[in-house]
Amino acid sequence: MASLYRALKAAAILAWSAFVVAPFLWALTTSFKTANAVTSGPTYLPWLQYQPSLEGWRVLFRSYGQGIDIVGPYLSSLFVTVTASAVSLVLGTLAAYGLSRYTYRLGFLGNGDITFFFISQRIMPPIVLAIPFFLLLKFLGLLDTELGLVIVYVALLLPIAVWVMVDFFNNIPREVDETAMLDGCTPVETFWRVILPNCKPGLVVAGLFCIVFGWNDFFFAFTLTFTNTQLLPVAIVALNSSVTPWWSLSASGLVSVAPLVGVAVVLERYLSRGNLAGAIR
Amino acid sequence: MSGNAAPLVAEGLSRSVDGEVHLAGVSLSLEPGRFYTLLGPTLAGKTSLLRVLAGLDPAQSGSMVMGGRDLLRAPVWTRSVAMVYQQFINYPHLTVHDNVAFPLRRAKRSAAEVDRTVRETAEKLGLTPFLGRKCSELSGGQQQRTALARALVKGADLLLLDEPLVNLDYKLREQLREEFVNLFSDKGSTIVVYASTEPLEALMLGGTVLVMSEGRLLQAGPAHEVFARPASEEVARIFNDPPMNLLDGAVSDGELILPGGIRKPTAGHLASLRPGRYRFGIRAGDIRVGGAGVPVRMELAEISGSVTYLHVSLDGAPLVIQQAGVHSHALGETIVADVDATALYAFAEDGRLAAAPAGGGEGGFRDGSWRESS
Amino acid sequence: MLRSRHLFLLPGLLALLAIILFPLLFTIRVSFSSWDVVLHAMDFIGGSNYARMMRDTRFWESLVRLVAMSAISVALEYVLGFALALLVWRDLRFKRFFRVLFLVPMMTTPVIMTVIWRTILHESLGPANHLLGLLGVAPVPWLSQAGAAAASVILVEVWQWTSFMFLLLLAGLLSLPREPFQAAAVDGAGPVRTFFSVVFPMMAPITIGALIIRLIEASKMMDSVYVLTQGGPGTATETSSYYIYIRGLRDFQIGYASSLSLTYLVIMIVSLTIVAKVLGRALLGRS
Repeated sequence: MASLYRALKAAAILAWSAFVVAPFLWALTTSFKTANAVTSGPTYLPWLQYQPSLEGWRVLFRSYGQGIDIVGPYLSSLFVTVTASAVSLVLGTLAAYGLSRYTYRLGFLGNGDITFFFISQRIMPPIVLAIPFFLLLKFLGLLDTELGLVIVYVALLLPIAVWVMVDFFNNIPREVDETAMLDGCTPVETFWRVILPNCKPGLVVAGLFCIVFGWNDFFFAFTLTFTNTQLLPVAIVALNSSVTPWWSLSASGLVSVAPLVGVAVVLERYLSRGNLAGAIR
Repeated sequence: MSGNAAPLVAEGLSRSVDGEVHLAGVSLSLEPGRFYTLLGPTLAGKTSLLRVLAGLDPAQSGSMVMGGRDLLRAPVWTRSVAMVYQQFINYPHLTVHDNVAFPLRRAKRSAAEVDRTVRETAEKLGLTPFLGRKCSELSGGQQQRTALARALVKGADLLLLDEPLVNLDYKLREQLREEFVNLFSDKGSTIVVYASTEPLEALMLGGTVLVMSEGRLLQAGPAHEVFARPASEEVARIFNDPPMNLLDGAVSDGELILPGGIRKPTAGHLASLRPGRYRFGIRAGDIRVGGAGVPVRMELAEISGSVTYLHVSLDGAPLVIQQAGVHSHALGETIVADVDATALYAFAEDGRLAAAPAGGGEGGFRDGSWRESS
Repeated sequence: MLRSRHLFLLPGLLALLAIILFPLLFTIRVSFSSWDVVLHAMDFIGGSNYARMMRDTRFWESLVRLVAMSAISVALEYVLGFALALLVWRDLRFKRFFRVLFLVPMMTTPVIMTVIWRTILHESLGPANHLLGLLGVAPVPWLSQAGAAAASVILVEVWQWTSFMFLLLLAGLLSLPREPFQAAAVDGAGPVRTFFSVVFPMMAPITIGALIIRLIEASKMMDSVYVLTQGGPGTATETSSYYIYIRGLRDFQIGYASSLSLTYLVIMIVSLTIVAKVLGRALLGRS
């Protein structure tokens, strides 16, 4: 009975692994194809079913008609995501600490309502904000710029930072803050010297979430940038036109997704060390 | 941080939260260099009082002055206070050494002085082998010692301990309690306030006891005195473990009458009692089994250590008798109990003390480990 | 007076307000106009946009569709995510490898992966139907038939976001104390009973948090619909977000789209709050 159980477990894990890996494998083989290999039905094995070619990959690094230059969008995405995440993390952590330690009252609204306000920003579908943001950035002259996108992304990522960090702070007993204050620390010093050093796992998780959600945004980058600034997702989807060059599409897709696999590895390390226990609840 | 050898005078400290009264007009005067035990049952307001003294919670009315300085409105980080909590609170990301050094470094002492003071204090608390370890790697007892070391190292004007031993196991508690007596014998001008629910601790640690209940300060005085002469029934109940037995009775015609038909002549300390109704208090250890007593009905026998506590019914009135040794009694069994009249307390109808035995009685304590000699 | 409590909350709160206040107020203002960028200026037409919305069955259908698709997606993601978390939680060879693998999908860019899925689900040139054919199954009209299209969208969503549930639930499992499990083992409880009487109740608060967060994100279901089906065939996979997008950024009926947006927002906030409370009482009120 136990071995049947274990066999079932193994089968389940392998089945899901196959499901997870399938699109990547398909993209991988497709990226080495040419028009012939695609138009006559699906093919899987290089050299056996089709002739592999580096066309799909070569196209990424030069403006080449159907292809795109991927380095530019890569750097843009990097800059916008990292900047917006950093700002969101700083502001969000400060706000989360306030919400965790102090009782606020705005009329009849209390801490819970304020936290809800932060998190409810995520409910807004991008479309609701797209047009007004468009006009706002136009008014500020920041349309089609990286800075404009950073401002918009901060509004999107701040709630995530608050969500993760509030729980984390709530798990540190308030008595630790009190002890620090009794030892002579002002509230700001308490936060900086005592509480924050204890939050490294939480900050890592919040930061990673911000980076992931920021890097992967499509809609706002799509509506708020055109020619001067182009983020990675937009650049790649632009390839999803009528003449579908599946090979360069697949190649560029794989390239854009690769760095975040590194994020997954880092996240797993923290997970296994039990550091996330306080962060995600 | 210290050297401010002035008494702390508080008047009428009151604090309510959401309609619940935590402190009801507490007034006290704490002298520098003295040890105070704050004794009371759970929810008596001990923690509330400590936190108000520390400045962690605000008092809604009253005043608190030390050396001419109004403490009620001073921010926490400008005060000279140290606190040890029930839970083991330390800076989790720091080693034991850095934990203890933290307040000194905040006060900008020289590195050499910091190091010296930390080592001395660690030595006093047996922490020297652990100085390099992180607090999360320590046992409960070691964590609490670290918290204590950090509190002592400051030499603050006010040192507050909120039931610091309550989360430790029995053996460790005993051990640390003994160490406390030594630790606090040399406090300089620090005022030490130690909150506890156990009368035994109050008596062991000596000093002045402040008895609290339901947010009010009931009595203050040297521990043994308060023990011998509780000012009211409530204090008598709180300051004894098991709580003092209280029986309704009366005095008339030179005799005092207790339930179950017990009659004793009003001799000795009871002679001054005027006729009328009283509640008489007797400690569990001052009731003897056997002899020329009255029958009582057994309800429950509780064996604790080397002593048996008999919960009996004297004519409907509940009584707890402490019997030396380990005995077994059957439920419903009738035994004979005799009350030692020389150990009787008398409380008037308003609950105040009317008469107390000269030597304070031979009370004994729940674990049989302490006895007051008369 | 600037006290430290203000210093902590205000920067973030004010920044957020500053960035979204204008868009929000603007949307409210525009919803009362018939502005469409080209023909009409920013006029004031009272509540006629809202009246139109009340009669707009397409909008309400999209809402129902959205609720159905998100509920199904999130439910699947939860069950699968929990199962996966339990599988890689303890004593397994290559445990860490599988954990990393299972975390990858949520890290990927949804649009890009959906584009790749689109090529996979291509009815004649894609491997999906080809492989099904090898197993003797008729080709599925993944993207051209209503039911199958909805299933395709859900499939892609589940692929992408089960990973997120997996992360939250695994973190939760790893933080559970040991003792109840030892007690259950002593009582001789098998894995199934241990799950229902120990694991699930202890994970209740995390379950609620995970479901709420995922529902909030899922309700915006946009990228997958945009790439895979464009709301089609017909309106079979048209979610509210997508419909608002059509009215707003394709037909440029900004005024009307704004009224739709606000209504949608209010409905979502109210529903999600209700769901949160119901879940809270159901899962926590009992234990």
